Amino acid sequence: MSPGTTTEPATRLDLPPRPRTWPRRTLVFSALTAFTVATCLPAIGGIEIDLAAIAQNWRHGAANLSALLQPNWSFVPRTIQPMLETLQMAFVGAAIAAALSVPLTLWAARPTNPNTVTRTAVRAVINVVRAVPDLVWATILVAMVGVGALPGLLTLVLFDVGIVVKLVSEAIDSTDHPYLEAARAGGATQGRMNRALALPQSLPLFSNQWLYALELNVRISAILGIVGAGGIGRLLDERFGFFAYGDVSVIILEILVVVLLIEAASNVLRRRLA
Amino acid sequence: MTHDTQAAEAGHAPASAAWPIRLDGVSVTYPNGTTALRDVSLDIDAGEMVSIVGLSGSGKSTLIRTINGLVPVTAGTVTVGPHTVSGLHGRRLREVRGHVGMIFQGFNLATRVDVYRNTLVGRFARAGRLRTLLGVTSARDREVALTALDTVGMLDKVWSRAAALSGGQQQRVAIARALSQEPSIMLADEPVASLDPPTAHAVMSELERINAERHLTVLVNLHLMDLARQYTRRMIGLRDGELVYDGPAAEATEADFEQIYGRRIRPQDRLGDRT
Ligand SMILES: Nc1ncnc2c1ncn2[C@@H]1O[C@H](COP(=O)(O)OP(=O)(O)OP(=O)(O)O)[C@@H](O)[C@H]1O
Ligand SMILES: [Mg+2]
Repeated sequence: MSPGTTTEPATRLDLPPRPRTWPRRTLVFSALTAFTVATCLPAIGGIEIDLAAIAQNWRHGAANLSALLQPNWSFVPRTIQPMLETLQMAFVGAAIAAALSVPLTLWAARPTNPNTVTRTAVRAVINVVRAVPDLVWATILVAMVGVGALPGLLTLVLFDVGIVVKLVSEAIDSTDHPYLEAARAGGATQGRMNRALALPQSLPLFSNQWLYALELNVRISAILGIVGAGGIGRLLDERFGFFAYGDVSVIILEILVVVLLIEAASNVLRRRLA
Repeated sequence: MTHDTQAAEAGHAPASAAWPIRLDGVSVTYPNGTTALRDVSLDIDAGEMVSIVGLSGSGKSTLIRTINGLVPVTAGTVTVGPHTVSGLHGRRLREVRGHVGMIFQGFNLATRVDVYRNTLVGRFARAGRLRTLLGVTSARDREVALTALDTVGMLDKVWSRAAALSGGQQQRVAIARALSQEPSIMLADEPVASLDPPTAHAVMSELERINAERHLTVLVNLHLMDLARQYTRRMIGLRDGELVYDGPAAEATEADFEQIYGRRIRPQDRLGDRT
């Protein structure tokens, strides 16, 4: 076999010239590298990464770490009540958010709301809600309604609604809905066809995000306590303040177990609902 | 008044009387500048069964969609029965659409929703404001929808999800949905283009039967010449958005089709005989 026959195909295909992508790729890559390097330059006020400080603090950190590795099991009973409060916040928050997300999502998606004015308005509000970080919401709400589970719950609802409405309305936007055209051709109102058809048709999209919101809630509500928004996070913050690392260790392990359990349960549910 | 006398003559309550369709100098230019229909004028009598033939892109779908206002006309007027469709909006337009059933090439069912609730969609236009708001169906709605499913032989699948049905079965459900509107006009946009030949003939026969038994005006888009010849008496030919043929379907010659298509007849212009 001569080398000519292997490189030269028997029938030459009339292939259009391949678009040149490497100049653009190189440009993007070098721009990203330059940007990363620039942000670390102290001269222009970049992030200072002080390697010496890391080395110095290491001993300190190692001592704390060894304390964390010795959980104080006798502390467990005191964590039950706050943990239940956290779970309650997570579940109730996800449930309220699920109920609110249905009309908001249908208003925010084009196939289910052809009216540009109301659609844009709902989307704008949702984007603002999502732009504010959860800890900021929690701080504001604690200031408004006082310390406790209520501001935590409200934070979770806002956070979940933001996620579910954005993700599900975009998923609805990016799929075809020929059945809506048929219903419109038959003289149905938008509201009625949304409820009777678009909602059941999009339910898997919704249930996926509702479960995801629940998983996130357990994680987030563990942190929200730090700004006074109730649950296990407040206890975590308190024990940390007393340098009771054995207790902190118990709380962290508990959060880990609960998060994993919720995730396993929601995976099972997701498979059932699909 | 006239409705009552007709009901008495027929011996049973007919769903509704057929409507004539009239297009007067209709042109459609889409927002992107494509002109899909040019000055089309057309008179279809109540109870006629008419086919519209033409190549892909000739404006068949556009023409049929102007009749229920899914596509607004740029010029001219569309009249169905006592209503002028062009210029109608909101509630009035929905009311007229309620009297015009439509069947699609892709069936357009909600696949995750059961056959029963897909069929009930045909009743939405008849519900009053309160029923619409609360989303409740009346006993009559249920009866009409189930009767329509029975007519097309799909009653045994009433609780199946639409996704679990074959293409032919889905199109039957779509026909039942349109029938449960108790329409005065039935529009069909390439209703058999996604079906295999025997199923295509079955669905066309169904439309023929609806036209004969319910005396509905039926307007059906087809791109296959033999289907137009077999199932309709009158044929309308479109080429590049212009009406180039309007005459009897059965007697249309190959030359007529070549004129409509603007090219020679090819084997794929025929479906093949009914089995
Ligand atoms: N929504 C739209 N926006 C812009 N142009 C359109 C739109 N719908 C159709 N057209 C154009 O209008 C012309 C007529 O299209 P139409 O769908 O009516 O043809 P058709 O005869 O039904 O074709 P087919 O047999 O492929 O369904 C085509 O040139 C098409 O590209
Ligand atoms: Mg078409």
